[in-house]
Amino acid sequence: MIFALQATDLGKRYGRKWALSNCTLDIPTGHVVGLVGPNGAGKTTLLHLAVGLLTPSTGAINVLGEGPATSAEQLGRIGFVAQNTPVYESLSIETHLKMGAALNPKWDSQLAHRRLHDLGLDPSQRAGALSGGQRAQLALTLAIAKRPSLLLLDEPVAALDPLARREFLATLMEVVAENDVSVILSSHVVADLDRVCDYLVVLAAARVQANGEIEDLLNSHHRLVGSRREVDSLPPSAHIVEVSHTERQTTVVVASEDPILDPTWSVEPLTLEDLVLAYMAQAEEQRRELVRTKVGES
Amino acid sequence: MTWFAWRQFRVQAFLVLGFLIAFAVFFAITGPHYASLFNDLTTCKAKGDCNSITNSLVNGQDTYFPFAQAFSLVLPGLLGMFWGAPLVSRELESGTYRLAWTQGVTRRRWVLTKLAVVGGASMLAAGLMSFMLTWWASPIDTLNANRFSSLIFDTSYIAPIGYAAFAFALGMTAGVLWRRTVPAMATTLGVYIAVRVPFFHFVRPHLMTPVTRVRSLKNVGNIGFERTQNGVSFVAGDTNLRNALSFSSSIVGKHGGEVTQRWLGDHCRALLLLGNPSPGKGVKVTTGIRPKAFTDCIDKIAVTFHQVLRYQPANRFWTFQWIEMSIFIVLALLLSAFSYWWVRRRIA
Repeated sequence: MIFALQATDLGKRYGRKWALSNCTLDIPTGHVVGLVGPNGAGKTTLLHLAVGLLTPSTGAINVLGEGPATSAEQLGRIGFVAQNTPVYESLSIETHLKMGAALNPKWDSQLAHRRLHDLGLDPSQRAGALSGGQRAQLALTLAIAKRPSLLLLDEPVAALDPLARREFLATLMEVVAENDVSVILSSHVVADLDRVCDYLVVLAAARVQANGEIEDLLNSHHRLVGSRREVDSLPPSAHIVEVSHTERQTTVVVASEDPILDPTWSVEPLTLEDLVLAYMAQAEEQRRELVRTKVGES
Repeated sequence: MTWFAWRQFRVQAFLVLGFLIAFAVFFAITGPHYASLFNDLTTCKAKGDCNSITNSLVNGQDTYFPFAQAFSLVLPGLLGMFWGAPLVSRELESGTYRLAWTQGVTRRRWVLTKLAVVGGASMLAAGLMSFMLTWWASPIDTLNANRFSSLIFDTSYIAPIGYAAFAFALGMTAGVLWRRTVPAMATTLGVYIAVRVPFFHFVRPHLMTPVTRVRSLKNVGNIGFERTQNGVSFVAGDTNLRNALSFSSSIVGKHGGEVTQRWLGDHCRALLLLGNPSPGKGVKVTTGIRPKAFTDCIDKIAVTFHQVLRYQPANRFWTFQWIEMSIFIVLALLLSAFSYWWVRRRIA
């Protein structure tokens, strides 16, 4: 089986700081994957490792069964839209398309021009004069006209206004519907991912906190609410994600394949946003704990 | 990739090309005139009126010469700053490297193509300027007979090709290390000057073992005596060897030693009593009418002393041009290899 992205104990270190560590992932092809996490969680690092802009400090990464950026063919199979959608400001849109045609083996010129036409963009316009939304659309056009098997997008809608954001995601969905392409899309806005993704990777504090098909994740995560108590009475198969107490109540988010049968808990389903927030909160709590320990030691 | 490398480079290339064309037009218009003046100079001896021709050459061509030389002198450094330094640093600074290096072209090919297109253009531009200048200035060069002087050696013939290759590779290296354009440009200029100036000062004269020549002082023109507050001393000016690179010249006695005050007191008493110059002003008795005491003293000195010249002779000019160009091209290759490795392995 060929995975869209396969990472084994992947890590990237800058000086003494780990931007990503112990990352092990097997993402099958054929999904629209949401890579979600707070700013600085390692999303960009993971995507840059996947396209070969970075090389791993530890472990290994394969995309579509090959090492990143190992050959021109391999690079041609991956469409990448980097954060803030960089384009050459002094060059025209037309020149960007010519660049794509000159540099990519499977370039689909018709597709590129049709998309520009649909977007109502004038090919003679300088890329530096485009709005944020138009620039993102140009970057997406450059990526999909490569006819990639895997499309990687790093926070493509973060800088866009709500309308441009909706249009961008709609375009992306069209592309997925029309082509046999896997997509990995990073964002710190869960609502965007909810609309387009069917697979989720939660990244926080430089580690993968959870990953899987969204449906499975939602089925296996529960929120338990009950009178205030310690949580050690839960069955061992239940992995505790987050615990919070009020004066009289205890709320626990757990991951459990088996149903929770304890009648003293009322079991509620989670939304995707709740699930992601629970993992992020847990990671943040662990980080604070670590800092407190360090400060305490010194 | 070649097309896109050229497309990104086009505006900068046209700018420099504009300067080159301007010089080419100027050279093409004025060059033939000076060349014919120079031709007249070789035939004027018969008619006896050479001064006016020499004057119009010196007043005409020699006035423009420094401007053209200055441009040819700074051109390689400018190319390093404006072509070499931004080559990679601008992509890194503006974030477009993420676009460039994720196209269907390996980073290896991207770097090598950039090196070939822009580095090649740098050598071509500096070479063109140098060849145009060499052609245009050949009358005045011949007249001045000083080809080894750094202003001619460094701006003409083939050496500038090596300088341009070096400056370009230096700029690219500074760019990949700094990852920012402006500091990379400043570093390029600084390091370029810091390499070139000591090189022509200290390294060039030693590239080959200099020729040593011993000359009798009887035939040397540029010598004489100088009266200072401390008395009279013997002076020997720089010896002008046509088109040669002078290394050193010294007056050496048969048994070693120099022409000292004491020696003059013992052997040239008549000279010391000569004339009535005011002390401190210094009177050179090197030209004009030479009193008998002067020539007597020179003859006496010439019996015991001679001039030892060490220099790089004129016929080594091309060897030196080749050596210097090769050295700078080798430096350029080393820097290019380093920045190639750095882009592929370290910016990751």
